[in-house]
Amino acid sequence: MKTTKFRQSRMILAAMIAFLLLSAMPALAAVEGLVCSAPTCNYDLTAKTDYISTADGGSVFMWGFAPNDTGIMQYPGPTLIVPEGATVNVTLTNELSVPVSIVFPGQTVSATAGGVPGLLTSEAMPGATVTYTLSNVTPGTFIYYSGTNPSLEVEMGLVGALIVRSATAGQAYDDAATAFDHEYLFFLSEVDSRIHDLVVRGKMDEVNNTDARPNYWFLNGRTAPDIMAPSYSQGGTWLPTQPYNCMPMMHPTETILLRLLGGGRASHPFHHHGNHALAVAREGRLLGAGAAQGELLFTQTVTPGKTTDATFTWSGENLGWDYFGHAPGDPAYPWETDHGVPVPVQIPDYKDLTIGPFWSGSPFMGVAGDLPPGTGGFNPNAGFFYMWHSHAEIEITNFDIFPGGMLTMMVVEHPDVMLMNP
Amino acid sequence: MVMDEGMLAHEFSAPTIKVKEGQDFYLSLTNVGMVIRPDLFDPHSVHWHGFPNAASVFDGEPMASATVNMGATFTYYYKAVIPGSYMYHCHVEAPEHMPMGMLGNLYMESATPNCAYNGAPETCFDVEYPIEIVAFDPRFHEADETIQPLPFAAMNDTYPMLNGRGYPDTVNPADIINKDGKLAQRVPALITATRGQRILLRISSLSTTSFHSLTVLGIPMRVVGKDARALNFPYNTNSVFLGGGESADVILDTSDPNILPGTYFLYVTNMEHLNNNAEEYGGMMTEIRLN
Repeated sequence: MKTTKFRQSRMILAAMIAFLLLSAMPALAAVEGLVCSAPTCNYDLTAKTDYISTADGGSVFMWGFAPNDTGIMQYPGPTLIVPEGATVNVTLTNELSVPVSIVFPGQTVSATAGGVPGLLTSEAMPGATVTYTLSNVTPGTFIYYSGTNPSLEVEMGLVGALIVRSATAGQAYDDAATAFDHEYLFFLSEVDSRIHDLVVRGKMDEVNNTDARPNYWFLNGRTAPDIMAPSYSQGGTWLPTQPYNCMPMMHPTETILLRLLGGGRASHPFHHHGNHALAVAREGRLLGAGAAQGELLFTQTVTPGKTTDATFTWSGENLGWDYFGHAPGDPAYPWETDHGVPVPVQIPDYKDLTIGPFWSGSPFMGVAGDLPPGTGGFNPNAGFFYMWHSHAEIEITNFDIFPGGMLTMMVVEHPDVMLMNP
Repeated sequence: MVMDEGMLAHEFSAPTIKVKEGQDFYLSLTNVGMVIRPDLFDPHSVHWHGFPNAASVFDGEPMASATVNMGATFTYYYKAVIPGSYMYHCHVEAPEHMPMGMLGNLYMESATPNCAYNGAPETCFDVEYPIEIVAFDPRFHEADETIQPLPFAAMNDTYPMLNGRGYPDTVNPADIINKDGKLAQRVPALITATRGQRILLRISSLSTTSFHSLTVLGIPMRVVGKDARALNFPYNTNSVFLGGGESADVILDTSDPNILPGTYFLYVTNMEHLNNNAEEYGGMMTEIRLN
C-alpha cells in the first residue's frame, strides 16, 4: 500500500492557520448554550411555534423554547449552563395557545412568581409570564421540560438541558473520577410526525397521546447527517431552529465527558463504538466516590427524563499492532503498547472494497492511503472515526430512509492534529 | 470453493464465536453475494460489538472503514485481551442486515479456567451458555425479498427468538434444516446442568427495535457482569433488562437444597414476545433442565 505520512512542517502550518481562524471567531464551547458564570443567572425564554428540518427533506411543526437573544424557537430548548451554587431565575413567556410551564427535576424550585397554579407547577397562560427561581443548584446534567400536559408538550418540543458546572474546573462533579478534556451533549429524542401534523392543522383534539409511534430520531435536535453539520454558532445557519450539533473529537488518551439525556418518551440503547465508557453519574448524582463506583459499559441505556454522565477514553492499547504505522526505530508515544509491530493481515486492494466516506485508505492514524476517485473525503487528517448511535437500529433512519436518525461519528485524531471543535 | 460452500448457506443466528484470552483471532469474511436478490451488490462486514480500544479498520462500521465486495475476502484481526460476553453482527445498513439475520453470539473466555472474568470469583461457573435476544418482522423480510420499500419505523417484531429460534425450537438440541434441505438454525438455547452446579448465562441483545426483560422462574439470578466487564457490585434479581447492544452475565447457582431437579424456564417478560407470530406458547423462551 502506498501511503503518505503527514510531515511535521505541514502539521505545524495547518495548526497555525487553524489557530488564526479560531482566534478570529468567538470561542467555541464544546457544549453550547446560554452560559452564565455569575452567582445569579437570569434567563428569559419564550414558548412559541416554528418548524424544524429533517435530513430527508421534511419539516416538522414544533412548540419550543426561544432564548430572548435570538427570539428563535429551538429544539431542544436552550442549554442553560450555570455554576454550582447559583441562584437561577427562569422567566417563561407564553406565546402558544395553550398553558405552558417548566419543571426542573433534580433541582429545588424555591419560588415562582407571576403564574397560575397548575397540576405540577405554576403555569403561564397564553400571553402571560411565569418566573421560576432555583436556589443553590447542584452540579450535574439535568433535564427541564414543560410540566403542563407533558405527554403532548414534550413530544412537541418543550424540553431542554440544564448543566450545572462543578466548582472544580475540568470536572463534571466534585470528584476526580469525573475529570474530562472535552465534553459533549447527547440529547436523545424522537418525534411522531403524525402528532405534529394534527397540531399544526388545528386538530389537537384528535391527538392520541397513547399510540405515538416515532418515525424521526434526534441527537441534540437534529437527524443524521445534519447532526454532523456545523452548529448555528459555527456557521450552520441553515438550521436556525436546530442550533446544536454533535461532532465529538479527541486525541488518543484524552477523555470525553458524555452528557446523555433522554428527552423524549422512548428509551434508547446508545452504543459508542471504539471503547467502553465509564458511567459516573445518573440524574445529576454521582454513583459513588471514585471511578470504582462507576459502571464501565459499551452501551448506555438512555431512558426518558433520565440523565447519565459518562467518561470515554481511547488509547488504542493492546491492539497487537502499531496503529501509527511506526517502524521499530521511530520515536514512540508514551502510551504505545505495540510500537513498530506491523498489521498482521493484508488489507485487500480497494477494488475489492466499498469505501466509507470517513475511511482514510489506511489502517494507520494520521496516515492517508490511496483511495479511488470520488470516495472517502470526510477524513482529511486520517483520524479514526467511530459511529456513536442508537443500537435500536431502526432509529438510525429518517422516516424509513437509511441512514439517518440518532447517529453521529466521533473521531480520534492524530496527536499532531488540532481539533477544530475543542 | 468458498463461493460454493457459502452461497445460500446462511445460518440464523450466525455461528457462535468463542475465543480465548491471549489468542490472536483472524476472521475472514467472504462476500458470496445474494442469489435471492441478484439486484443487490451490498458489501458486508463484521462488527465485534464492544471490542475495547477498537481500531476503525477492523471495526466493521462501513462509514468509517472499508467493507468487502462480492467475490472478495476481508480478514479481520483481533488480539483477544479483555475477556467477556460480546456479540457480533454485520454493520452495513444495520437496520436491514441485522434483522435479516447477520448476527450472532461472540464471547471471550478468560485465562482463569471456568471463570468469566479474571480475579472475579463471583463469575466462576461449571457450565456456560450464550443466549442472544434476536427478533424480526416477517413483513419486513417479505418486503426485502420482493424488492419493496423497507418499513423501518413500522418494524414490529413478531418472531422474537433466542439464538435464532423461537420456543419450542429453542430446546431442540439438533440442527434445524430449512425447506431447501440446508442447515439454517444451528444454535439451540437449551440449558442443561446438574443440580448443584453454577450456570453462567452470557446474555446479549441484538434486537433492533426493543428493550427486553428476561426472567428465570424458580432459580435466583445473580448479575455478575455487564457489557463484558465484571461488575464491582454483583446483585441478585429475578430479571435482567437489556436493550439492543447490551450484554449481561448471570450466574444461576443451583446449590440451594430447595432447588430440585426438573425443568425451569428462562423467558421474556415482555409478554407479547411469547409468541411465534400468530402461534402462542412460543417466542423468546427456553428451558433449563436440571438433572
